[in-house]
Amino acid sequence: MIVTYMFFGFALLSILGALGLILFKHPMNGAMSFVVTLISLAGMYALLSAKLIFAIQLIVYAGAIMSLILFIIMFLNIQAKDLPDEPGRWFYLGGGIVVISPIAYLLLKMVKSLPAGDTGIIEQDFGGVKEVGQLLFRDWLLPFEIVSILLLVALVGAVVLAGKRGANT
Amino acid sequence: MQDLMAILPLVATGAGAILLMLAAAFESFRKEGISIMGIGLFAFAFFVQLAVANSGSFAPYSGVLNGMLATSTFTKVAGLIILACGFFSAIAAQAYFTQNKGFVLEFYCLMLFAACGMLLLTMAAELITLFIALEIMSLAIYALVGYDRKSVRRSEAVLKYLMLGAFAGAFYIMGTVFIYAGAKSTSFRVITDVIATTGFLSNPPLVGGAFLILFAFLFKAAAFPFHAWVVDVYDGAPLPVTGFMATAVKTAVFAVLANFLMISSDLQAAWVDYLFYIAVFTMFAGNLIAIAQNNLKRMLAASGIVHSGYLIIALVAIQAKTFTGGAMLFYLAAYALATLGIFAALSYLAGEEERRVSFDDFKGLARVRPYSAACISIFLLSMAGIPPTAGFMGKFYIIASAFQAGHVSLAILGIVSSILSMWYYLRLIVLMYFREPEDRFEVAEMTLAPLGTIILAICVFAISFYPVVL
Repeated sequence: MIVTYMFFGFALLSILGALGLILFKHPMNGAMSFVVTLISLAGMYALLSAKLIFAIQLIVYAGAIMSLILFIIMFLNIQAKDLPDEPGRWFYLGGGIVVISPIAYLLLKMVKSLPAGDTGIIEQDFGGVKEVGQLLFRDWLLPFEIVSILLLVALVGAVVLAGKRGANT
Repeated sequence: MQDLMAILPLVATGAGAILLMLAAAFESFRKEGISIMGIGLFAFAFFVQLAVANSGSFAPYSGVLNGMLATSTFTKVAGLIILACGFFSAIAAQAYFTQNKGFVLEFYCLMLFAACGMLLLTMAAELITLFIALEIMSLAIYALVGYDRKSVRRSEAVLKYLMLGAFAGAFYIMGTVFIYAGAKSTSFRVITDVIATTGFLSNPPLVGGAFLILFAFLFKAAAFPFHAWVVDVYDGAPLPVTGFMATAVKTAVFAVLANFLMISSDLQAAWVDYLFYIAVFTMFAGNLIAIAQNNLKRMLAASGIVHSGYLIIALVAIQAKTFTGGAMLFYLAAYALATLGIFAALSYLAGEEERRVSFDDFKGLARVRPYSAACISIFLLSMAGIPPTAGFMGKFYIIASAFQAGHVSLAILGIVSSILSMWYYLRLIVLMYFREPEDRFEVAEMTLAPLGTIILAICVFAISFYPVVL
């Protein structure tokens, strides 16, 4: 029972964090509320007994990636006067909600049709480094390998978009 | 051995991309060397794909990769089209960069990476692999669109494409989650079995997942109502990249869309009615946008929407039992030939900094450059679907397959739309042939693009004789 309540708590927090991300005007506030989302997602992974993913979520996403984002925002030194004023902000938000809500309603109905699962915590033989590693290298070898190509493309793309231009250009 | 042969084109493309990436770091390889290498690697990968003789569909290395890749004649031909598009886009890029500034050495490397992602996309038989392949392709294309960061138009194009692409990607992931909830697996094979035992419509999460995934694919294919980004993005991208996006990306996306719908005939049957309306609206919305354009690139972008509409007709008409994808692939090949031809011609005719891009700039081209004008006319006639070009045969196969599947009204609407499209194709031909030239159309010499254009023009006639079994 407690697990269900905790799930709703984390779900609510993550949605509030995501709302904060898009509604706060200053990027720093947005980034901080995004941290709330990331941490509550980590909580949900913990509820699912996914120990390794829980740790990775906290260390990599809520830790490393968020501090990079915060560094960038601080480097840019954004003041209130640098922010664009968005006159149609609430209008577009309302329009978006109107467009998305029927789809959301449909999806909620589909989620309701799913059978209820067991929400108990599994202690042994699940979610640890060994189990995830075996799954990754046995069953999911191809996605694991092609992610390396994806990262390489992202790297080359970042260099092309942001790198220094030589004499050839 | 057969397994290795099946994935060899993929390996060749990926290794070629990495090779170019490394070569770009050396002082001794400059613009010309890298360009020739890029063109050569695409040609090599094309011939590797051509040499791979695989008949029937099977999953290479199914023990190690768990059947996450599946090849068939369909994926092989799609791969051939993609690599040929890459080859001719690379030739166009070589001409383009002799006249335009802003060349980056990684340009061809990114093109090869994009092609690698597309080949993976056509072969993927599992939803997560498919997503990674989709992202490999998209990331490379984003960088290709926006590599010239001095230009505001490029930045606008890449920002729009990136935002909307990320949005579509999020819908795709959500769809994958729902399908996993419905089928307890993301593998196409298992989903087929689940649908065969429980039925499609009686499994709500599967329906929702398929809906969201189709949403993402239709966005990538620029179908109505997700077509609005195409015109701005295609217009903002550099000419050879626009050609590459319009042809290779479209081929990959339609191949994967057909693969996805072919998971089960129940799945396709559930969406046929909606695809029917999407096809009709896509064709007519595209035509209306294209008629209003004065810029050649924007017109070609809008006509790309129309051609997506015809391809959706082919999707409506395919039948899971006897699926060969012949009509669709033939149309994609015909469309790719004509589009790449125009972009190859434009990449040397447009001049420095893409000066000549509007309809009026090409007035009287036939007087000054008769061969180029003739080639462009051939490509436009092929796109409009005039016999005996490949475009006519492509439309013929698609409309015949729609008749065969019993969608007579869709076939007729397809014909009406192709008559409408003549308006903007013939307009350029009239301007080129029946107006006095105002421009001298001076272009840089020593490029391969005119040769590529002529080869493509010959191919437009040559492949129209290739028979397709519907």
